[in-house]
Amino acid sequence: MIDKRSFGKYIKLDEHVSIAPLVIFRIIFGALLFFGSSRFLINGWVESLYIQPDYFFGYLGFEWVQPLPGNWMYLPFILMLIGSLGIIFGGFYRTSALIYFICFTYVELLDKSNYLNHYYFVSLMSFLLILVPANRNFSLDVYMGRVRPMETVQKWSIGILKFQLAVVYIFAGIAKLNSDWLFHAQPLKTWLQAHHNIPLVGQFLQEDWLAYAFSWTGCLYDLFIVFFLINSKTRRLAYFAVVFFHFVTWYLFPIGVFPWVMIFSTWIFFSTSFHQKILAFLRNFFKKSKQNIQTTASPSLRINSFLKLFLIVYISLQILIPFRYLLYPGNLFWNEEGFRFSWRVMLMHKEGHATFFLKDKATGRELEINNAKFLTVTQEDQMATQPDMILQYAQIIKEHYDGKTLHFGDYKFPIEDPSVHAEIYVSLNGRPAQLFVDKSVDLTEQKYNLSHRNWIEPFQQ
Amino acid sequence: MKISSSLLIISLAVFATVSCKDKKEEEEVPFDKAALLENVSSNIITPALDDFETKIISLQSSYGVFKNNRTAGNLSLVRSDLIDVFLAWQHVKPFDLGPIRDYGLKAATNTYPCDTAKVLTNIDNGGYTLGSAGNIDAVGLSTLDFLLFRSSSLDFFVNNEDYTTYAEQVINKIQSEVTAVKTVWNNYKSTFVASTGTESTSAFSMLVNEFNRDYELAKNAKLGIPIGKQSLGVALPEYIEARYSGVSLELLDESVSALFELYKGKSGVGFDDYLNHLEKGTLNNEIQSKFNAILSQASVFTVTLEEAISSNPSDLDLLYLLMSEQVVKLKTEMTSSFGVLITYQDNDGD
Repeated sequence: MIDKRSFGKYIKLDEHVSIAPLVIFRIIFGALLFFGSSRFLINGWVESLYIQPDYFFGYLGFEWVQPLPGNWMYLPFILMLIGSLGIIFGGFYRTSALIYFICFTYVELLDKSNYLNHYYFVSLMSFLLILVPANRNFSLDVYMGRVRPMETVQKWSIGILKFQLAVVYIFAGIAKLNSDWLFHAQPLKTWLQAHHNIPLVGQFLQEDWLAYAFSWTGCLYDLFIVFFLINSKTRRLAYFAVVFFHFVTWYLFPIGVFPWVMIFSTWIFFSTSFHQKILAFLRNFFKKSKQNIQTTASPSLRINSFLKLFLIVYISLQILIPFRYLLYPGNLFWNEEGFRFSWRVMLMHKEGHATFFLKDKATGRELEINNAKFLTVTQEDQMATQPDMILQYAQIIKEHYDGKTLHFGDYKFPIEDPSVHAEIYVSLNGRPAQLFVDKSVDLTEQKYNLSHRNWIEPFQQ
Repeated sequence: MKISSSLLIISLAVFATVSCKDKKEEEEVPFDKAALLENVSSNIITPALDDFETKIISLQSSYGVFKNNRTAGNLSLVRSDLIDVFLAWQHVKPFDLGPIRDYGLKAATNTYPCDTAKVLTNIDNGGYTLGSAGNIDAVGLSTLDFLLFRSSSLDFFVNNEDYTTYAEQVINKIQSEVTAVKTVWNNYKSTFVASTGTESTSAFSMLVNEFNRDYELAKNAKLGIPIGKQSLGVALPEYIEARYSGVSLELLDESVSALFELYKGKSGVGFDDYLNHLEKGTLNNEIQSKFNAILSQASVFTVTLEEAISSNPSDLDLLYLLMSEQVVKLKTEMTSSFGVLITYQDNDGD
């Protein structure tokens, strides 16, 4: 519908195109990775997120991913800095990208309390960077003679990056097609009014019409921006919208580096000549005349069939994973079954209060858990509204007390195989709080797996 | 290409059309968080600090009289002044934020239960530093409660000069700290009023988060833990606040009243007005009636908390239940309505 000819070109994955967009993307994305990892070190997040917590909420099937002891947790972050420098300068590029991908993904797998869609995006992108030959021009690897320079690359290596960006936007747009977002302007109505003290514009932020305007334009923006960026006729205006949109979100919401990632990553949709001009400018800046470098003859014209198969699988997974929620009954926002890894950004304002109880089966007595004894503020906040984390926390509590003898006053209680219960109330997108988990459920009896969780109280509109 | 350009225009136009749509609705008066902060600062925090300082200075002076003339009559004047200080403190403690938190006033003034063995060791051995972290549970109001109200306390004051000195030093420490905090607060006031953002470090977020934290602290420390909620139903009287004077339930009542007053912004702009503005009048009513229910349940007791634990546990359980129900209203519904952030992490709203 949009531009059949340019869409058609992506199908011919082994067609050759200028390497310039790939080189510029390598530099930009590498710089963003460097910036992103520095923030963890500078803001003390390595300490507060990965050293201080006593317990971690691993991902199903990845519980074997464990934190390094104490200050060793700084190591992956330092490696990430080194890796991102390698990416920026194209030195030992593939190894650098591999190191970055492994370290970043390792850190993300440690604790799902810290899950953000844009961290998932960074993991995927740094993985794709390992595959693409972004170091084949204007790079240390070329300068050092480690690889032979190329002027062109197979089209898939730029196409796959564009695809990934398109997936983020389009699925974020599809996710906004729900009644809370479109017909109640939630959660934006809640978030925007909180900014009513901003000079000049603040007074409008508590107006309903503005919340609706933001919701609808945000949805349309996400759904269609990629197509406007692909189309050279609308690209200029579309990029203006990109900058405006992400700048506004950066200003209003604490979403970290994500706006900058999108503002700069979308350059990949720009024309080859745009990238060639930047490259020429950079070359000039580093006083490296292009003529000094001997380019190779075109590399093999045919895309390796293993790679082709791999790309097909990757692309299919990226398209299917966000739809896996369709396999579950009930409300997606309430049950959060199939919620992560689906580009559902800024969609929910979910706040919960969870009171956990340990029950001694022998005496029928119970004690109320002080969550702060086990969890950080962030972990408790995230856990209270996410069913899989609730089960994980119940296990943490059980394992802590099981087999211990508790002394209270003159009494002794040998705790054997205790049950763990929780009374949890959750408020979703401005609704009154409703019961999320009933105290009668023994959480230690519930299976922690991917099947539907019927112990979550049904959602009442 | 035609289609794509027009789609872009449509999407931008939606902004304009939706803009005009709802304009006709009745014009509401916009809410102003800065006004709320100004009201809380001028009419609640500042008077609370002033009152607390006045009360501690009275305690200082009655203690001075008692020190020179250690009679039962003078001791009872000191005791009654201490209870006044204790009550005044309930109005200061929700404000563990900004420079007050940096100063560590909340922990220094009233960490309880008091480690009575440590206090007595300090007195016997001398050479203590009251400000050290290790002595946090051997200073403050609960320590004074122990020293002044334990049985045969008059004998200790009469016979043990070190005992008398220790109590005096604890009083002086609290007085000098609150005086220092008042200065710090006066310098911070204008920053506080202007800090209306949504980040977790903004004054408004801190105020809401500390309000919730202090409410939960009142529920757990003043009631839940002593009545056995965290100990398999075994009551733990040694955790009772102000156990020796026996005013624990009065303090609980005063603490909840202070938080209710903060919620309403006294007679000015408070959380109640903010909720009404957000069309959450129902929630506001629920919170107010729950506060009233808690306060009326807290006043049914004619005995001390320690006595009620054995004589009237069911009324204590009911009080605890009411206080727990209120946590959900405050921490989940009210806080999420305000769009306040609890943590400082990056966030993409999921």
